[in-house]
Amino acid sequence: MASTDIGFGLGLRPEHYEEIAANPGRVSWFEALSENYMVPGGRPLYWLDTFRRDYPMALHGVSLSIGSIDPLDRRYLDDLKALVERVQPMWVSDHLCFTGLGGLNMHDLLPLPYTEEALDHVAERVTAVQDHLGQRLVLENVSSYVTYAASELSEWEFIAELARRADCEILLDVNNVYVSAFNHEFDALAFLRAMPRERVRQFHLAGHTHKGSHIIDTHDHPIVPDVWSLYGEAVKLFPGVPTMIERDADIPPYEELLAELDVARGIAAGVTRQAA
Amino acid sequence: MSANTGSLGDLQGAFQNYVLAASDTFQAAVRDTSKAQRATLLDVYRDGYALRLIEVLTNDYPGVMAMAGPDDFDYMARAYIAAHPSPHRSVRWYGGRLADFLAATAPFNATPEAAEMARFEWALSEAFDSADAPAITAESLMALAPEAWETLSFSALPSLRCLTLAFEVPQAWQRKEEVEAGNLEVARAAQPTVWAVWRPQFISNFRSLDADEAAMLAALVEGKPFPDLCEAVAAFTGEAEAPARAAGLLRAMVEGGMIAAFRY
Repeated sequence: MASTDIGFGLGLRPEHYEEIAANPGRVSWFEALSENYMVPGGRPLYWLDTFRRDYPMALHGVSLSIGSIDPLDRRYLDDLKALVERVQPMWVSDHLCFTGLGGLNMHDLLPLPYTEEALDHVAERVTAVQDHLGQRLVLENVSSYVTYAASELSEWEFIAELARRADCEILLDVNNVYVSAFNHEFDALAFLRAMPRERVRQFHLAGHTHKGSHIIDTHDHPIVPDVWSLYGEAVKLFPGVPTMIERDADIPPYEELLAELDVARGIAAGVTRQAA
Repeated sequence: MSANTGSLGDLQGAFQNYVLAASDTFQAAVRDTSKAQRATLLDVYRDGYALRLIEVLTNDYPGVMAMAGPDDFDYMARAYIAAHPSPHRSVRWYGGRLADFLAATAPFNATPEAAEMARFEWALSEAFDSADAPAITAESLMALAPEAWETLSFSALPSLRCLTLAFEVPQAWQRKEEVEAGNLEVARAAQPTVWAVWRPQFISNFRSLDADEAAMLAALVEGKPFPDLCEAVAAFTGEAEAPARAAGLLRAMVEGGMIAAFRY
């Protein structure tokens, strides 16, 4: 069945359910989008339970809104905890962002200002969420399109310090580093090098849309060569970290994503050979 | 105090208001880059907000799209989005108020069949991921002693919903892929009809109900015992015919997979 190595995974997408069932063991694990399975019943949960029998899984959310000044949503946390108990994931992740306030959800991952105030606020909330879930939270760096004038720290200083203070982990999205580095004109490698090695839990890889003056993180294209290069650097810095390809729109056949995952395997294997 | 130097809450509030197109003050809080103006960069968020929600509504309401066509659907969707910022943790729930919005808001309320199509499509989508429950079989009822029927009551599947529709919406919905978007015609029904939507396994089912069947099902979901279900039917058939008719209707509901449990 599934490989015992947890190196390379894909996002669990309804478009692929039948193909996954027909082609077992082609990936090591799946990442399931938490909110999609916070439903009472039906086909989504049936497939989640079916695949969980054969594959390790990670849970990945978009609505934790860890950075918002709204109080933590206790009902959301209870539902997330129930899903964690059902799935027994390898880890639980969400994004370093806010999604709205005043009880509203913009259904977007809005960046935070990198200030001491924000750092204190988020660290406290991460601690509360970790206590509620009974495990560490893994937070992903988002792609962003605006730089706050109020920021006192770089994004990488903020993330590294947050991980240390709150004792949480990092989902290092290599595409997001690339996108944000282009948009905010910083050195992507400096970002990678600033991540505390022992706290990098997982990589994401994804495609984007280049607009010339900025890049938008659309997750609807294959991964571009520059991001593959950056991934190669990330694998050198953080060997053995599991990798996942995120494709959220214009979803191609399963075989196509498997082929893309093979590119990641090849890069990681090449880095390992060079290091040996 | 400018938005630039405001607290975390000030900055977040200003950002949200920018996304909602309620205010532009957040511009003062962010920088231009050497490649792009801040307004261009901020509009990635503002434009992305509407586009994302329009996509969600498009996926949830193919029947409404088939009736409206892309331009009118876009206009309607933007009006809904402006009126209804999302309080939900998942976009899966975002479109839930569309039927009420169309029924209550000019100019959309001039086309009541559009609100009915939205109501029907939402019922289908609610049934899709409602709680699972196995349906009872006819055999399990036939095994009951006659006395049990005096107090026998039922629970419907969690997915069961009943809608009263004045238009032939479900029939039109089944034709939605046969016409070019914007050309789906929806006729008015001869009389308002109750439709049941439910999901016995993985596929949502729907069918129209006769008037006595609808009355009986309404009493059933309230937990009324079988004699009361007969009374509901008797209003249409007369007392003499009611028990046999009620038993036949119950059998059809059970065989259709609508009933989850019974007690007596």
